Amino acid sequence: MIAPSSPVAIALVGCGAVSRLFYQPALRELRRHGLVNILAVVDPRADARNTLAAALGAAACTTLDEALALRPELVVIATPPAMHRAQAEAAFAAGCAVLCEKPLAAISVDADAIVTAASRSGRLLAAGHYKRFMPAHRALKTFIERETFGPLLDATLVEGGKFSWPAATDSFFQREQTPGGVLLDIGVHTLDLLRWWLGDPVDFTYADDALDGLEANALLSATFTSGANIRLRLSRDWRTENVYVFRFARATIHSRVNASNQLEITLDGLPMTLAAELRESLPDRPAPPTRAFNTNPQAFIAQLVDVCAAIRESRAPFVPGVEGAHALRWVEACYNRRTPLPLH
Amino acid sequence: MKPTSHPHTWAIIGASGFIGLRALEGLHDRDGVTVRPVVRAAASLAVLARRRLDWRIADPRDLPALTDALRGCTVCIHAALGDPFQIEQMATVAYQACAAASVRRLVWLSSASVHGQNPAPGTDESSPIHDRHLLAYNNAKVRAERRLEKLSSDGRVEVVRLRPGVVIGPRSRWLTDTVADLRANRAGWLDEGRGVCNSIHADNLVHALRLAATVPAAAGHAFLVGDTEPVTWRDFFLPIAAHLGLPATAFSPATPAALVAKREPALAALTQSRLYQKLGDRVPERTKRLVKALAAAWPDPAPAPDAWTLSRPPSSQLTLEQTLLQSCSWKLPHTKAASLLGYAPPVPFAEGLAASLAWLDFAEGPR
Repeated sequence: MIAPSSPVAIALVGCGAVSRLFYQPALRELRRHGLVNILAVVDPRADARNTLAAALGAAACTTLDEALALRPELVVIATPPAMHRAQAEAAFAAGCAVLCEKPLAAISVDADAIVTAASRSGRLLAAGHYKRFMPAHRALKTFIERETFGPLLDATLVEGGKFSWPAATDSFFQREQTPGGVLLDIGVHTLDLLRWWLGDPVDFTYADDALDGLEANALLSATFTSGANIRLRLSRDWRTENVYVFRFARATIHSRVNASNQLEITLDGLPMTLAAELRESLPDRPAPPTRAFNTNPQAFIAQLVDVCAAIRESRAPFVPGVEGAHALRWVEACYNRRTPLPLH
Repeated sequence: MKPTSHPHTWAIIGASGFIGLRALEGLHDRDGVTVRPVVRAAASLAVLARRRLDWRIADPRDLPALTDALRGCTVCIHAALGDPFQIEQMATVAYQACAAASVRRLVWLSSASVHGQNPAPGTDESSPIHDRHLLAYNNAKVRAERRLEKLSSDGRVEVVRLRPGVVIGPRSRWLTDTVADLRANRAGWLDEGRGVCNSIHADNLVHALRLAATVPAAAGHAFLVGDTEPVTWRDFFLPIAAHLGLPATAFSPATPAALVAKREPALAALTQSRLYQKLGDRVPERTKRLVKALAAAWPDPAPAPDAWTLSRPPSSQLTLEQTLLQSCSWKLPHTKAASLLGYAPPVPFAEGLAASLAWLDFAEGPR
C-alpha cells in the first residue's frame, strides 16, 4: 500500500453500527499505513460518539459544524439517509470532499442536490458502493463485457436473510428516517452492481410485501439491452441462498454474496464445478502460487484508499457520487411501479 | 407518525417470532385489533415494520422497561422465546409488569410439552404436571406455569395459559427443519411415522389466543389446543417430501443415538445450574444462542474419514425431542378449550400444511 504525500484529514459523521463495525477498523488500518488522519467523529448521542472517538483517537463532536471547524479534507457520512443531503451540502460549503454511505440520500431529489453541490464546489463526491471493489464482481464485469463464456443469457440473484444488523435504534424502520426497506437497504448495492455490469435496464417489474410500512421481501425482474434477463429476490425476513447465479452461453457462474474473492464456475460439458479463489495473475511460465485477492473487509478498505488517492491525485473516485444517485433513482422507480407480493 | 394507541390495545411480547408474528397478522390484519408489538431489539422490527405499528423495544426480563411498554394495554399475549432459565424468569416479569401497567389479562403461551412429548393415554388438562422431564424446556414451561398460578392468586391480573403442541405454519421450525433434513438426505422417522403428531396450525393457535384474551370464563385456566383431525407424523412428513419431489423412502428408519439422548439432558443440567442462572443475565443473548447452536450441532464422535474412506450419506439420527414426539400414541384433546372458550379450529390440517409449503416456496425464492 502506497501512502500519499500526506495523510488525508477525515471527519466521520455518524457513530452507529456501520461506523463501529466497518469504518472504525478500516480507518485505524489506514492510519497505521499513514493514509489518513482521523480528526473527529460526530454524533448527537454522547455514548456512541465518545466510544468511537476513544477507539479512533479523534475529537468527539456533537455537531458537524464542530467537526468542520477542525478543517477536515474528507467528510465520511454514515448517518441515516434522511440526513445525508444537509450534511453533504455543509461539507462541500466548507470545502471538503465527501464519501457518502449508501443510499446516497433518502430520495433521489436529495441525491441530485448532493451531486449538484459537489459539482458547484468542485469537490470530490464518492458513493459508498464498496461492493464494486470486490474482485469477484470485477471478474464478473469482465466476463459479461468480454463474453468470455459467451453472452450472458440470464441471472438469478437471491440475497438476504433474517435481519441481524445491530441497529442501535428503530430509525432503520421508520419511514421518516429511512424511506425504504430491504430494497433500499441491501438492494441498492445489488442494483448498483447490475447497472455497473449491464447498464440501465430496458424494462423491469417490481413487487414487495410492504403494507403501509417498509418491505421485508422484494422481487425484481429486469431486462437489459444485451437481452439478458435478471431476477432478483431480496429478503430480510428469511434466509436465502445468498448467491448470484449467472448463466452464460458456455458456463454458469455462482458468486456467493460477500465472498469477495471467490467464484464457482461450471463450464458446459464439464461434469464438475471449479470452486475458484481469485488471485493475482500468474505469468505464462512456471511460477509459485500468487497471493489471493481482497476479502470483503479489504474491499471496504480499498474504497477508502481509492477516495484518499483520488483526493491527492485530483481525479474522480472509482465510484463517483452520480452512480449512487443513479442506483437510488432505480430504487425509487421500483417503488413507483410496485405491485404487492402476497403475504403468506 | 405512528398511530396512537387505541384504548383497547393488545400487547404481543415476542411479536417478531414465529407465533408472535402470526398472532400479530391475524389479530391486526383480520380482526382489526389494535396491537402493540414488543420486541427485545430494534433488529427484530425488520418484518414487523411492513406495517406502521406502535411498537416498543423492551427486554421481556426487564421489569421497568416491560412495564413501560405495556402501559395502556388491556391484554398482553406473551409469545417470547427463551432458554429454560429465561422462560421461568419471563413468567415472573410478565406478571409483575402486567400488574404494574394495569393490564387486565395475560395470555401465556405455554406448551403441551408440560405433559411431556409423549404423554400417557388419557392425558388432559386435569392430569398432574411435573418438572422431572428429560428436556429442560418442558420443566421450564411447567415451572413458569406454576409461578403464574402462584402470582395470579393476588387477583391483580387474569392469567390464561395455552398449551399448543407442534405448531405448524409459515416460519415453523418443524417445517423448515424437516425440509433441511430431507435435502441433506438425513431425514428419519420412527415406525414409518405412525406416531401421533399433536399438531396445531398457527392460525388455529391465533384463534385460541383471541378467545383466551376475550372469553371471561377463561381466566385462571390452562387449555390444550390442537388441530381438529388426528394427525400422524406420516401425515405431516409425506406431503413435505412430495412437495420436494421426494418419495416416502426419503425418510429412513431412525433410532435415537445414545449421545444425542445424553447431550440434551446434559445441556439442560447446565442451564439449570445455579452458576449458569447467576451468570445468565451477564452473557449476551447472541452468545448464548451461538453456544446452544454449537452444542446442538456438535458432531457425534465418529472415526475421522481419511483419504481411503468412501463417503457415505449422513445417518438419520433423531434428537431426544424428536424421538419422544414420534413415539407419541395419544392425541391430546381440546375438549376443555372447545367447551369453555368455544375453540373450533378454523384451518384443516391439510389446508394449513399446503399453505405452509406455499410460504416455503415464496420464502426460498426462485430456484
